[in-house]
Amino acid sequence: MIELHDVTKIYDGQTVPAVEDLTLKIEEGETCVFVGPSGCGKSTILRMINRMIEQTSGDVLIDGKDVRETDPNQLRMSIGYVIQQIGLLPHRTVAENIGIVPRLHGWGKDRVAARVDELLELMGLDPEETRTKFPAQLSGGQMQRVGVARAMAVDPPVMLMDEPFGAVDPIVRSRLQDEFLRLQREMRKTICFVTHDINEAIKMGDTIAIFTKGRLVQHGTPQEILSHPKNEFVKDFIGQDRVVKMLTLFQVHNIARPNPCIIRENELPDIGRKMQQEQAPVIFLVDDSGKPCGLITAEDLERETANGAGTERLKELAYSKRGAFIGGDLLLNDALSYMLEWDTDYLGVMNGRGLAEVLSMADIRECACRKEGDQ
Amino acid sequence: MSDLLKYMVENASIILNYTETHFSLIFSAVIISLLLWIPVGILISRNEKLAGIVLGIANTIFCIPSLALFAVFVTVPFLGLGRSSALLALVLYAMMPMVINVYQGIKIVDKNVIEAAKGMGMNSGQILKEIQFPLAVPVMFAGVRITVVMSTGIAAIAAYIGERNLGRLITEGLTRNNIEMILTGAILVALIAIFFDTVLGAFEKMLVPKGLKIRRSN
Repeated sequence: MIELHDVTKIYDGQTVPAVEDLTLKIEEGETCVFVGPSGCGKSTILRMINRMIEQTSGDVLIDGKDVRETDPNQLRMSIGYVIQQIGLLPHRTVAENIGIVPRLHGWGKDRVAARVDELLELMGLDPEETRTKFPAQLSGGQMQRVGVARAMAVDPPVMLMDEPFGAVDPIVRSRLQDEFLRLQREMRKTICFVTHDINEAIKMGDTIAIFTKGRLVQHGTPQEILSHPKNEFVKDFIGQDRVVKMLTLFQVHNIARPNPCIIRENELPDIGRKMQQEQAPVIFLVDDSGKPCGLITAEDLERETANGAGTERLKELAYSKRGAFIGGDLLLNDALSYMLEWDTDYLGVMNGRGLAEVLSMADIRECACRKEGDQ
Repeated sequence: MSDLLKYMVENASIILNYTETHFSLIFSAVIISLLLWIPVGILISRNEKLAGIVLGIANTIFCIPSLALFAVFVTVPFLGLGRSSALLALVLYAMMPMVINVYQGIKIVDKNVIEAAKGMGMNSGQILKEIQFPLAVPVMFAGVRITVVMSTGIAAIAAYIGERNLGRLITEGLTRNNIEMILTGAILVALIAIFFDTVLGAFEKMLVPKGLKIRRSN
Protein backbone atom coordinates (compact mmCIF):
# COMPACT_ATOMS: atom_id res chain seq x y z
CA MET A 1 0.00 0.00 0.00
CA ILE A 2 1.30 3.42 -0.95
CA GLU A 3 0.09 6.55 0.78
CA LEU A 4 0.87 10.15 0.00
CA HIS A 5 -0.13 12.75 2.59
CA ASP A 6 -0.21 16.44 1.69
CA VAL A 7 2.80 15.97 -0.55
CA THR A 8 4.18 19.10 -2.19
CA LYS A 9 7.22 19.42 -4.39
CA ILE A 10 8.71 22.75 -5.38
CA TYR A 11 11.81 22.45 -7.52
CA ASP A 12 14.80 24.63 -6.68
CA GLY A 13 14.54 28.05 -8.21
CA GLN A 14 10.83 27.73 -8.95
CA THR A 15 7.88 29.26 -7.18
CA VAL A 16 5.09 27.21 -8.74
CA PRO A 17 4.86 23.77 -7.12
CA ALA A 18 5.33 20.81 -9.47
CA VAL A 19 3.07 18.84 -7.16
CA GLU A 20 0.78 20.52 -4.67
CA ASP A 21 -0.94 19.14 -1.57
CA LEU A 22 -1.35 15.67 -2.94
CA THR A 23 -3.10 13.09 -0.82
CA LEU A 24 -3.59 9.74 -2.48
CA LYS A 25 -3.83 6.16 -1.37
CA ILE A 26 -3.01 3.18 -3.54
CA GLU A 27 -4.27 -0.07 -2.09
CA GLU A 28 -2.22 -3.24 -2.04
CA GLY A 29 -2.46 -5.14 -5.30
CA GLU A 30 -3.93 -2.16 -7.10
CA THR A 31 -2.71 -0.62 -10.31
CA CYS A 32 -3.13 3.14 -10.09
CA VAL A 33 -2.50 5.03 -13.31
CA PHE A 34 -1.33 8.63 -13.08
CA VAL A 35 -2.49 10.43 -16.16
CA GLY A 36 -2.48 14.01 -17.33
CA PRO A 37 -0.94 16.39 -19.84
CA SER A 38 2.85 16.70 -19.85
CA GLY A 39 4.13 18.85 -17.02
CA CYS A 40 1.25 17.94 -14.72
CA GLY A 41 3.65 16.45 -12.17
CA LYS A 42 2.80 12.78 -12.65
CA SER A 43 6.40 11.61 -13.11
CA THR A 44 7.51 13.77 -10.19
CA ILE A 45 5.03 11.96 -7.95
CA LEU A 46 6.30 8.59 -9.12
CA ARG A 47 9.88 9.59 -8.48
CA MET A 48 9.08 10.78 -4.98
CA ILE A 49 7.93 7.29 -4.07
CA ASN A 50 11.40 5.79 -4.60
CA ARG A 51 13.16 8.96 -3.47
CA MET A 52 14.64 9.76 -6.85
CA ILE A 53 13.18 13.15 -5.92
CA GLU A 54 12.68 14.32 -2.34
CA GLN A 55 9.39 16.03 -1.59
CA THR A 56 9.44 19.58 -0.23
CA SER A 57 6.79 18.74 2.36
CA GLY A 58 4.36 15.98 3.23
CA ASP A 59 4.87 12.26 3.73
CA VAL A 60 5.22 9.30 1.42
CA LEU A 61 4.52 5.95 3.05
CA ILE A 62 4.89 2.42 1.77
CA ASP A 63 3.04 -0.13 3.91
CA GLY A 64 2.76 2.51 6.60
CA LYS A 65 6.48 3.24 6.72
CA ASP A 66 7.87 6.64 5.76
CA VAL A 67 10.18 6.18 2.76
CA ARG A 68 12.65 8.60 4.31
CA GLU A 69 13.35 6.08 7.06
CA THR A 70 14.99 3.72 4.59
CA ASP A 71 18.34 4.27 2.90
CA PRO A 72 17.52 5.45 -0.65
CA ASN A 73 19.51 2.68 -2.37
CA GLN A 74 17.99 -0.01 -0.15
CA LEU A 75 14.56 1.44 -0.81
CA ARG A 76 15.06 1.45 -4.59
CA MET A 77 16.39 -2.11 -4.55
CA SER A 78 13.04 -3.17 -3.12
CA ILE A 79 10.90 -1.30 -5.64
CA GLY A 80 10.61 -2.23 -9.31
CA TYR A 81 11.29 0.75 -11.56
CA VAL A 82 10.69 0.96 -15.30
CA ILE A 83 11.20 4.10 -17.40
CA GLN A 84 10.10 4.82 -20.94
CA GLN A 85 13.64 4.82 -22.32
CA ILE A 86 14.22 1.59 -20.38
CA GLY A 87 17.89 2.38 -19.84
CA LEU A 88 19.30 -1.09 -20.39
CA LEU A 89 23.05 -1.21 -19.84
CA PRO A 90 24.31 -1.39 -23.44
CA HIS A 91 27.55 -3.16 -22.49
CA ARG A 92 25.81 -5.89 -20.53
CA THR A 93 23.92 -8.90 -21.83
CA VAL A 94 20.21 -9.34 -21.28
CA ALA A 95 20.94 -11.81 -18.47
CA GLU A 96 23.35 -9.40 -16.79
CA ASN A 97 20.86 -6.57 -17.10
CA ILE A 98 18.09 -8.57 -15.49
CA GLY A 99 20.49 -9.82 -12.84
CA ILE A 100 21.50 -6.37 -11.59
CA VAL A 101 19.13 -6.05 -8.66
CA PRO A 102 19.45 -9.71 -7.56
CA ARG A 103 23.21 -9.19 -7.60
CA LEU A 104 22.84 -6.03 -5.48
CA HIS A 105 20.85 -8.18 -3.07
CA GLY A 106 23.77 -10.58 -2.96
CA TRP A 107 22.12 -13.57 -4.63
CA GLY A 108 24.38 -16.41 -5.74
CA LYS A 109 25.20 -16.93 -9.42
CA ASP A 110 22.99 -19.98 -9.89
CA ARG A 111 20.01 -18.40 -8.23
CA VAL A 112 20.36 -15.31 -10.44
CA ALA A 113 20.69 -17.42 -13.59
CA ALA A 114 17.61 -19.46 -12.72
CA ARG A 115 15.61 -16.33 -11.99
CA VAL A 116 16.71 -14.72 -15.26
CA ASP A 117 15.49 -17.70 -17.26
CA GLU A 118 12.24 -17.78 -15.36
CA LEU A 119 11.62 -14.09 -16.04
CA LEU A 120 12.52 -14.33 -19.72
CA GLU A 121 10.03 -17.13 -20.10
CA LEU A 122 7.41 -15.16 -18.20
CA MET A 123 7.98 -12.28 -20.64
CA GLY A 124 7.55 -14.56 -23.63
CA LEU A 125 11.22 -14.50 -24.59
CA ASP A 126 13.22 -17.62 -25.34
CA PRO A 127 15.89 -17.81 -22.60
CA GLU A 128 18.34 -19.82 -24.74
CA GLU A 129 18.20 -17.29 -27.50
CA THR A 130 17.90 -14.08 -25.51
CA ARG A 131 20.01 -14.30 -22.41
CA THR A 132 23.38 -13.75 -24.07
CA LYS A 133 22.20 -11.01 -26.41
CA PHE A 134 23.15 -7.37 -25.98
CA PRO A 135 20.50 -4.66 -25.89
CA ALA A 136 21.55 -3.43 -29.37
CA GLN A 137 20.47 -6.81 -30.74
CA LEU A 138 16.91 -6.55 -29.42
CA SER A 139 13.82 -5.06 -31.04
CA GLY A 140 11.96 -2.24 -29.31
CA GLY A 141 9.34 -4.61 -27.95
CA GLN A 142 11.93 -7.06 -26.67
CA MET A 143 13.80 -4.23 -24.93
CA GLN A 144 10.64 -3.14 -23.15
CA ARG A 145 10.05 -6.73 -22.07
CA VAL A 146 13.58 -7.03 -20.72
CA GLY A 147 13.08 -3.70 -18.94
CA VAL A 148 9.96 -5.00 -17.21
CA ALA A 149 11.66 -8.33 -16.41
CA ARG A 150 14.58 -6.43 -14.88
CA ALA A 151 12.22 -4.45 -12.67
CA MET A 152 10.51 -7.65 -11.49
CA ALA A 153 13.76 -9.53 -10.86
CA VAL A 154 13.50 -9.76 -7.07
CA ASP A 155 9.71 -9.90 -7.19
CA PRO A 156 9.22 -6.50 -5.53
CA PRO A 157 5.73 -5.95 -4.10
CA VAL A 158 5.69 -2.37 -5.42
CA MET A 159 6.44 -1.31 -8.98
CA LEU A 160 6.79 2.17 -10.44
CA MET A 161 6.33 2.36 -14.19
CA ASP A 162 6.91 5.62 -16.04
CA GLU A 163 5.39 5.25 -19.50
CA PRO A 164 6.83 1.74 -19.72
CA PHE A 165 5.30 1.02 -23.11
CA GLY A 166 5.64 4.52 -24.50
CA ALA A 167 8.50 3.92 -26.89
CA VAL A 168 7.03 1.19 -29.09
CA ASP A 169 4.56 1.21 -31.96
CA PRO A 170 0.84 0.91 -31.16
CA ILE A 171 0.55 -2.76 -32.13
CA VAL A 172 3.46 -3.87 -29.96
CA ARG A 173 2.25 -1.57 -27.18
CA SER A 174 -1.17 -3.14 -27.18
CA ARG A 175 0.37 -6.61 -27.00
CA LEU A 176 2.69 -5.61 -24.14
CA GLN A 177 -0.27 -4.12 -22.28
CA ASP A 178 -2.27 -7.32 -22.66
CA GLU A 179 0.65 -9.44 -21.48
CA PHE A 180 1.27 -7.20 -18.52
CA LEU A 181 -2.41 -7.25 -17.54
CA ARG A 182 -2.34 -11.03 -17.66
CA LEU A 183 0.77 -11.12 -15.42
CA GLN A 184 -0.65 -8.56 -13.03
CA ARG A 185 -3.81 -10.61 -12.56
CA GLU A 186 -1.59 -13.30 -11.04
CA MET A 187 1.02 -11.13 -9.34
CA ARG A 188 -1.30 -8.55 -7.78
CA LYS A 189 1.52 -6.11 -7.24
CA THR A 190 0.95 -2.56 -6.09
CA ILE A 191 1.70 -0.53 -9.18
CA CYS A 192 1.97 3.16 -9.98
CA PHE A 193 1.81 3.58 -13.70
CA VAL A 194 2.40 6.91 -15.43
CA THR A 195 1.06 7.65 -18.89
CA HIS A 196 -0.23 10.60 -20.87
CA ASP A 197 -2.51 8.32 -22.88
CA ILE A 198 -6.03 8.16 -21.44
CA ASN A 199 -6.76 4.98 -23.40
CA GLU A 200 -3.81 3.25 -21.78
CA ALA A 201 -4.98 4.54 -18.39
CA ILE A 202 -8.45 3.10 -18.92
CA LYS A 203 -7.02 -0.20 -20.05
CA MET A 204 -4.34 -0.66 -17.39
CA GLY A 205 -5.78 0.99 -14.31
CA ASP A 206 -7.79 -0.42 -11.45
CA THR A 207 -7.97 3.23 -10.55
CA ILE A 208 -7.02 6.34 -12.48
CA ALA A 209 -5.66 9.54 -10.97
CA ILE A 210 -6.00 12.53 -13.27
CA PHE A 211 -3.63 15.44 -12.72
CA THR A 212 -3.23 18.90 -14.08
CA LYS A 213 -0.76 21.59 -13.05
CA GLY A 214 0.47 19.58 -10.09
CA ARG A 215 -2.97 18.97 -8.65
CA LEU A 216 -5.04 15.82 -8.42
CA VAL A 217 -8.32 16.47 -10.19
CA GLN A 218 -10.06 13.13 -9.90
CA HIS A 219 -9.22 9.69 -8.58
CA GLY A 220 -11.51 6.75 -9.19
CA THR A 221 -12.11 3.59 -11.14
CA PRO A 222 -12.13 3.93 -14.93
CA GLN A 223 -15.88 3.50 -14.88
CA GLU A 224 -16.37 6.22 -12.26
CA ILE A 225 -14.22 8.62 -14.20
CA LEU A 226 -15.83 7.86 -17.54
CA SER A 227 -19.38 7.97 -16.26
CA HIS A 228 -18.93 10.87 -13.84
CA PRO A 229 -16.14 13.14 -15.01
CA LYS A 230 -15.71 15.65 -12.21
CA ASN A 231 -15.29 18.77 -14.32
CA GLU A 232 -14.73 20.15 -17.81
CA PHE A 233 -11.02 19.44 -17.66
CA VAL A 234 -11.56 15.73 -17.05
CA LYS A 235 -14.25 15.66 -19.72
CA ASP A 236 -11.95 17.33 -22.24
CA PHE A 237 -9.07 15.09 -21.28
CA ILE A 238 -11.13 11.96 -21.79
CA GLY A 239 -12.30 13.25 -25.16
CA GLN A 240 -15.52 13.49 -27.14
CA ASP A 241 -15.76 9.71 -27.40
CA ARG A 242 -16.20 9.32 -23.64
CA VAL A 243 -19.09 6.91 -23.96
CA VAL A 244 -17.36 4.78 -26.57
CA LYS A 245 -14.34 4.65 -24.26
CA MET A 246 -16.64 3.37 -21.54
CA LEU A 247 -17.46 0.46 -23.81
CA THR A 248 -13.79 -0.57 -23.68
CA LEU A 249 -14.39 -1.61 -20.08
CA PHE A 250 -16.61 -4.49 -21.16
CA GLN A 251 -16.16 -7.61 -23.19
CA VAL A 252 -18.87 -8.91 -25.48
CA HIS A 253 -19.63 -11.92 -23.29
CA ASN A 254 -20.36 -9.57 -20.35
CA ILE A 255 -23.61 -8.50 -21.98
CA ALA A 256 -24.35 -10.89 -24.87
CA ARG A 257 -27.48 -13.05 -24.56
CA PRO A 258 -27.45 -16.83 -24.87
CA ASN A 259 -29.50 -19.13 -27.11
CA PRO A 260 -29.48 -17.40 -30.48
CA CYS A 261 -32.22 -18.50 -32.87
CA ILE A 262 -30.78 -20.56 -35.71
CA ILE A 263 -32.13 -21.68 -39.07
CA ARG A 264 -30.68 -24.02 -41.72
CA GLU A 265 -30.81 -23.19 -45.41
CA ASN A 266 -33.32 -25.92 -46.17
CA GLU A 267 -35.61 -24.55 -43.46
CA LEU A 268 -35.72 -21.05 -45.03
CA PRO A 269 -39.26 -21.42 -46.40
CA ASP A 270 -40.36 -22.01 -42.82
CA ILE A 271 -38.55 -18.94 -41.46
CA GLY A 272 -41.62 -16.86 -40.63
CA ARG A 273 -43.22 -19.49 -38.48
CA LYS A 274 -39.92 -20.31 -36.73
CA MET A 275 -39.23 -16.70 -35.76
CA GLN A 276 -42.73 -16.17 -34.48
CA GLN A 277 -42.52 -19.32 -32.48
CA GLU A 278 -39.27 -18.31 -30.76
CA GLN A 279 -40.19 -14.61 -30.46
CA ALA A 280 -36.65 -13.83 -31.69
CA PRO A 281 -35.76 -10.40 -33.07
CA VAL A 282 -33.05 -11.96 -35.23
CA ILE A 283 -32.34 -15.35 -36.74
CA PHE A 284 -28.95 -16.68 -37.84
CA LEU A 285 -28.54 -18.67 -41.03
CA VAL A 286 -26.33 -21.76 -40.71
CA ASP A 287 -24.90 -23.70 -43.66
CA ASP A 288 -24.89 -27.48 -43.94
CA SER A 289 -21.64 -27.82 -41.99
CA GLY A 290 -23.16 -25.87 -39.11
CA LYS A 291 -21.14 -22.75 -39.81
CA PRO A 292 -23.04 -19.45 -39.36
CA CYS A 293 -23.10 -17.51 -42.60
CA GLY A 294 -25.55 -14.65 -42.14
CA LEU A 295 -28.53 -13.22 -40.30
CA ILE A 296 -32.00 -11.86 -40.89
CA THR A 297 -33.85 -9.55 -38.51
CA ALA A 298 -37.55 -9.73 -37.82
CA GLU A 299 -38.00 -6.32 -39.42
CA ASP A 300 -36.22 -7.36 -42.61
CA LEU A 301 -38.31 -10.48 -42.78
CA GLU A 302 -41.57 -8.59 -42.39
CA ARG A 303 -40.60 -6.05 -45.05
CA GLU A 304 -39.38 -8.66 -47.51
CA THR A 305 -42.36 -10.93 -47.04
CA ALA A 306 -44.66 -7.97 -47.63
CA ASN A 307 -42.78 -7.38 -50.90
CA GLY A 308 -43.29 -11.03 -51.74
CA ALA A 309 -39.62 -12.05 -51.56
CA GLY A 310 -38.75 -15.70 -52.08
CA THR A 311 -36.26 -17.99 -50.40
CA GLU A 312 -33.44 -16.88 -52.71
CA ARG A 313 -33.95 -13.23 -51.81
CA LEU A 314 -33.94 -14.06 -48.07
CA LYS A 315 -30.79 -16.09 -48.47
CA GLU A 316 -29.13 -13.21 -50.33
CA LEU A 317 -30.19 -10.83 -47.57
CA ALA A 318 -28.78 -13.10 -44.86
CA TYR A 319 -25.49 -13.52 -46.71
CA SER A 320 -25.07 -9.75 -47.00
CA LYS A 321 -24.34 -9.84 -43.24
CA ARG A 322 -21.94 -12.76 -43.45
CA GLY A 323 -19.25 -10.86 -41.46
CA ALA A 324 -21.51 -10.05 -38.53
CA PHE A 325 -19.83 -12.58 -36.24
CA ILE A 326 -17.36 -11.82 -33.47
CA GLY A 327 -15.55 -13.48 -30.57
CA GLY A 328 -16.82 -13.19 -27.00
CA ASP A 329 -13.58 -11.65 -25.69
CA LEU A 330 -13.84 -8.68 -28.04
CA LEU A 331 -14.32 -5.32 -26.33
CA LEU A 332 -17.69 -3.62 -26.80
CA ASN A 333 -16.26 -0.63 -28.68
CA ASP A 334 -14.81 -3.02 -31.24
CA ALA A 335 -18.13 -4.87 -31.42
CA LEU A 336 -19.83 -1.55 -32.09
CA SER A 337 -17.41 -0.94 -34.91
CA TYR A 338 -18.37 -4.31 -36.42
CA MET A 339 -22.05 -3.37 -36.22
CA LEU A 340 -21.38 -0.18 -38.12
CA GLU A 341 -19.17 -1.93 -40.62
CA TRP A 342 -21.78 -4.58 -41.44
CA ASP A 343 -24.69 -2.17 -41.02
CA THR A 344 -26.47 -4.39 -38.55
CA ASP A 345 -28.09 -4.12 -35.12
CA TYR A 346 -27.14 -7.69 -34.24
CA LEU A 347 -23.95 -9.69 -34.10
CA GLY A 348 -23.49 -13.40 -33.64
CA VAL A 349 -21.00 -14.24 -30.88
CA MET A 350 -18.85 -17.22 -31.68
CA ASN A 351 -17.52 -19.75 -29.25
CA GLY A 352 -14.81 -21.44 -31.23
CA ARG A 353 -16.49 -22.54 -34.46
CA GLY A 354 -20.04 -22.52 -33.13
CA LEU A 355 -22.53 -19.74 -32.57
CA ALA A 356 -23.03 -19.22 -28.84
CA GLU A 357 -24.66 -15.88 -28.14
CA VAL A 358 -26.22 -12.84 -29.71
CA LEU A 359 -25.24 -9.23 -29.11
CA SER A 360 -27.63 -6.42 -30.00
CA MET A 361 -27.24 -2.69 -30.42
CA ALA A 362 -29.91 -2.31 -27.74
CA ASP A 363 -27.70 -4.23 -25.29
CA ILE A 364 -24.76 -1.95 -26.03
CA ARG A 365 -26.89 1.16 -25.56
CA GLU A 366 -28.19 -0.14 -22.30
CA CYS A 367 -24.65 -0.91 -21.14
CA ALA A 368 -23.42 2.57 -22.07
CA CYS A 369 -26.29 4.24 -20.21
CA ARG A 370 -25.97 2.05 -17.14
CA LYS A 371 -25.19 4.15 -14.12
CA GLU A 372 -22.28 3.55 -11.82
CA GLY A 373 -23.03 0.85 -9.28
CA ASP A 374 -25.73 -0.86 -11.33
CA GLN A 375 -24.91 -4.32 -12.49
CA MET B 1 68.54 6.47 -50.31
CA SER B 2 71.76 4.51 -50.01
CA ASP B 3 73.32 7.45 -48.18
CA LEU B 4 70.50 7.31 -45.69
CA LEU B 5 70.98 3.58 -45.08
CA LYS B 6 74.70 4.03 -44.84
CA TYR B 7 74.21 6.74 -42.23
CA MET B 8 71.86 4.57 -40.25
CA VAL B 9 74.19 1.55 -40.25
CA GLU B 10 77.23 3.61 -39.32
CA ASN B 11 75.43 5.30 -36.46
CA ALA B 12 73.34 2.34 -35.38
CA SER B 13 74.35 2.35 -31.74
CA ILE B 14 73.68 6.03 -31.15
CA ILE B 15 70.40 5.88 -33.06
CA LEU B 16 69.36 2.94 -30.95
CA ASN B 17 70.34 4.79 -27.84
CA TYR B 18 68.32 7.87 -28.89
CA THR B 19 65.33 5.71 -29.77
CA GLU B 20 65.46 4.12 -26.36
CA THR B 21 65.53 7.50 -24.63
CA HIS B 22 62.69 8.70 -26.82
CA PHE B 23 60.62 5.67 -25.95
CA SER B 24 61.28 5.88 -22.26
CA LEU B 25 60.38 9.59 -22.11
CA ILE B 26 57.06 9.01 -23.85
CA PHE B 27 56.37 5.94 -21.81
CA SER B 28 56.96 7.69 -18.48
CA ALA B 29 54.96 10.71 -19.60
CA VAL B 30 52.00 8.61 -20.70
CA ILE B 31 51.96 6.47 -17.56
CA ILE B 32 52.08 9.53 -15.31
CA SER B 33 49.38 11.19 -17.45
CA LEU B 34 47.09 8.17 -17.20
CA LEU B 35 47.48 7.98 -13.44
CA LEU B 36 46.96 11.70 -13.04
CA TRP B 37 44.48 12.78 -15.68
CA ILE B 38 41.98 9.91 -15.62
CA PRO B 39 41.12 10.53 -11.95
CA VAL B 40 40.99 14.27 -12.66
CA GLY B 41 38.62 13.65 -15.58
CA ILE B 42 36.40 11.46 -13.40
CA LEU B 43 36.47 14.02 -10.61
CA ILE B 44 35.38 16.91 -12.81
CA SER B 45 32.64 14.82 -14.41
CA ARG B 46 30.94 14.96 -11.03
CA ASN B 47 31.43 18.66 -10.39
CA GLU B 48 30.49 21.08 -13.16
CA LYS B 49 32.07 24.10 -11.49
CA LEU B 50 35.38 22.35 -11.12
CA ALA B 51 35.08 21.06 -14.67
CA GLY B 52 34.94 24.60 -16.03
CA ILE B 53 38.07 25.61 -14.19
CA VAL B 54 40.11 22.49 -14.96
CA LEU B 55 39.16 22.37 -18.64
CA GLY B 56 40.02 26.07 -18.90
CA ILE B 57 43.47 25.42 -17.48
CA ALA B 58 44.00 22.42 -19.76
CA ASN B 59 43.08 24.45 -22.84
CA THR B 60 45.33 27.31 -21.82
CA ILE B 61 48.32 25.04 -21.32
CA PHE B 62 47.65 23.39 -24.66
CA CYS B 63 47.91 26.80 -26.34
CA ILE B 64 51.45 27.47 -25.10
CA PRO B 65 54.02 26.63 -27.79
CA SER B 66 55.99 23.61 -26.65
CA LEU B 67 59.37 25.19 -27.20
CA ALA B 68 58.35 28.10 -24.97
CA LEU B 69 57.08 25.76 -22.25
CA PHE B 70 60.34 23.78 -22.28
CA ALA B 71 62.32 27.00 -22.12
CA VAL B 72 60.33 28.30 -19.17
CA PHE B 73 60.79 25.07 -17.21
CA VAL B 74 64.52 25.15 -17.74
CA THR B 75 64.62 28.39 -15.73
CA VAL B 76 62.82 26.77 -12.79
CA PRO B 77 65.43 25.75 -10.16
CA PHE B 78 64.32 22.17 -9.49
CA LEU B 79 63.65 21.33 -13.11
CA GLY B 80 66.50 22.72 -15.17
CA LEU B 81 67.78 21.12 -18.36
CA GLY B 82 66.81 17.55 -19.14
CA ARG B 83 64.33 14.89 -18.24
CA SER B 84 62.32 16.54 -15.44
CA SER B 85 61.40 19.56 -17.53
CA ALA B 86 60.63 17.40 -20.54
CA LEU B 87 58.48 15.03 -18.54
CA LEU B 88 56.53 17.80 -16.84
CA ALA B 89 55.86 19.52 -20.15
CA LEU B 90 54.62 16.31 -21.78
CA VAL B 91 52.36 15.52 -18.84
CA LEU B 92 50.90 19.01 -18.95
CA TYR B 93 50.28 18.83 -22.70
CA ALA B 94 48.52 15.51 -22.17
CA MET B 95 46.11 17.18 -19.79
CA MET B 96 43.92 18.63 -22.51
CA PRO B 97 43.29 15.52 -24.67
CA MET B 98 43.09 13.14 -21.72
CA VAL B 99 41.01 15.10 -19.24
CA ILE B 100 38.57 16.30 -21.89
CA ASN B 101 38.09 12.82 -23.28
CA VAL B 102 37.59 11.20 -19.90
CA TYR B 103 35.16 13.95 -18.97
CA GLN B 104 33.28 13.76 -22.27
CA GLY B 105 33.30 9.97 -22.26
CA ILE B 106 31.57 9.91 -18.90
CA LYS B 107 29.26 12.80 -19.72
CA ILE B 108 27.92 11.30 -22.94
CA VAL B 109 26.78 8.08 -21.24
CA ASP B 110 23.03 7.91 -21.84
CA LYS B 111 21.42 9.60 -18.84
CA ASN B 112 18.52 7.16 -19.05
CA VAL B 113 20.92 4.33 -18.30
CA ILE B 114 22.16 6.23 -15.26
CA GLU B 115 18.58 7.03 -14.21
CA ALA B 116 17.57 3.37 -14.50
CA ALA B 117 20.64 2.21 -12.60
CA LYS B 118 20.01 4.73 -9.83
CA GLY B 119 16.39 3.68 -9.73
CA MET B 120 17.46 0.08 -9.22
CA GLY B 121 19.43 1.07 -6.15
CA MET B 122 23.00 1.23 -7.49
CA ASN B 123 25.09 3.75 -5.56
CA SER B 124 27.19 6.35 -7.33
CA GLY B 125 30.38 4.33 -6.92
CA GLN B 126 28.78 1.28 -8.52
CA ILE B 127 27.37 3.43 -11.30
CA LEU B 128 30.81 4.88 -12.00
CA LYS B 129 32.61 1.55 -11.90
CA GLU B 130 30.07 -0.62 -13.66
CA ILE B 131 28.47 1.80 -16.10
CA GLN B 132 30.08 5.18 -16.65
CA PHE B 133 33.68 4.01 -16.77
CA PRO B 134 33.21 1.03 -19.13
CA LEU B 135 30.95 3.06 -21.39
CA ALA B 136 33.45 5.91 -21.45
CA VAL B 137 36.29 3.63 -22.56
CA PRO B 138 35.97 4.26 -26.32
CA VAL B 139 36.08 8.05 -25.94
CA MET B 140 38.74 7.87 -23.24
CA PHE B 141 40.90 5.69 -25.42
CA ALA B 142 40.67 8.15 -28.28
CA GLY B 143 42.19 10.67 -25.87
CA VAL B 144 44.99 8.28 -24.92
CA ARG B 145 45.85 7.66 -28.56
CA ILE B 146 45.98 11.36 -29.33
CA THR B 147 48.13 11.91 -26.26
CA VAL B 148 50.65 9.24 -27.17
CA VAL B 149 51.04 10.33 -30.78
CA MET B 150 51.26 13.96 -29.76
CA SER B 151 53.82 13.20 -27.04
CA THR B 152 56.02 11.37 -29.53
CA GLY B 153 56.26 14.56 -31.58
CA ILE B 154 56.68 16.97 -28.69
CA ALA B 155 59.30 14.73 -27.09
CA ALA B 156 61.51 15.38 -30.11
CA ILE B 157 61.46 19.09 -29.32
CA ALA B 158 62.79 18.29 -25.84
CA ALA B 159 66.13 17.76 -27.56
CA TYR B 160 66.53 21.52 -27.36
CA ILE B 161 66.64 21.30 -23.56
CA GLY B 162 69.16 18.50 -23.44
CA GLU B 163 67.13 15.32 -23.91
CA ARG B 164 69.29 12.91 -25.85
CA ASN B 165 66.59 11.48 -28.06
CA LEU B 166 65.65 11.27 -31.72
CA GLY B 167 64.83 14.97 -31.74
CA ARG B 168 68.57 15.51 -31.39
CA LEU B 169 69.15 13.94 -34.79
CA ILE B 170 66.78 16.48 -36.25
CA THR B 171 68.15 19.55 -34.44
CA GLU B 172 71.78 18.60 -35.05
CA GLY B 173 71.00 17.62 -38.60
CA LEU B 174 69.57 21.08 -39.10
CA THR B 175 72.63 22.87 -37.74
CA ARG B 176 75.04 20.61 -39.64
CA ASN B 177 72.88 20.66 -42.73
CA ASN B 178 72.95 16.85 -42.69
CA ILE B 179 69.96 15.59 -44.64
CA GLU B 180 70.49 11.91 -43.73
CA MET B 181 70.57 12.76 -40.06
CA ILE B 182 67.36 14.81 -40.24
CA LEU B 183 65.57 12.12 -42.22
CA THR B 184 66.64 9.35 -39.84
CA GLY B 185 65.29 11.32 -36.89
CA ALA B 186 62.08 12.25 -38.63
CA ILE B 187 61.37 8.76 -39.95
CA LEU B 188 62.01 7.09 -36.62
CA VAL B 189 59.84 9.58 -34.72
CA ALA B 190 57.05 8.95 -37.20
CA LEU B 191 57.53 5.18 -36.92
CA ILE B 192 57.33 5.31 -33.15
CA ALA B 193 54.11 7.30 -33.38
CA ILE B 194 52.64 4.81 -35.83
CA PHE B 195 53.80 1.90 -33.68
CA PHE B 196 52.14 3.29 -30.57
CA ASP B 197 48.98 4.11 -32.43
CA THR B 198 48.75 0.60 -33.85
CA VAL B 199 49.39 -1.11 -30.53
CA LEU B 200 46.86 1.12 -28.80
CA GLY B 201 44.37 0.46 -31.58
CA ALA B 202 44.65 -3.25 -30.86
CA PHE B 203 44.25 -2.59 -27.14
CA GLU B 204 41.20 -0.50 -27.79
CA LYS B 205 39.52 -3.38 -29.59
CA MET B 206 40.10 -5.52 -26.53
CA LEU B 207 38.91 -2.93 -24.04
CA VAL B 208 35.76 -1.65 -25.73
CA PRO B 209 32.82 -3.57 -24.27
CA LYS B 210 31.42 -6.14 -26.67
CA GLY B 211 27.89 -4.83 -26.41
CA LEU B 212 29.01 -1.49 -27.81
CA LYS B 213 30.60 -2.98 -30.89
CA ILE B 214 27.44 -4.67 -32.02
CA ARG B 215 25.44 -2.66 -34.46
CA ARG B 216 21.73 -3.18 -34.55
CA SER B 217 21.23 -6.10 -36.86
CA ASN B 218 17.47 -5.95 -37.40
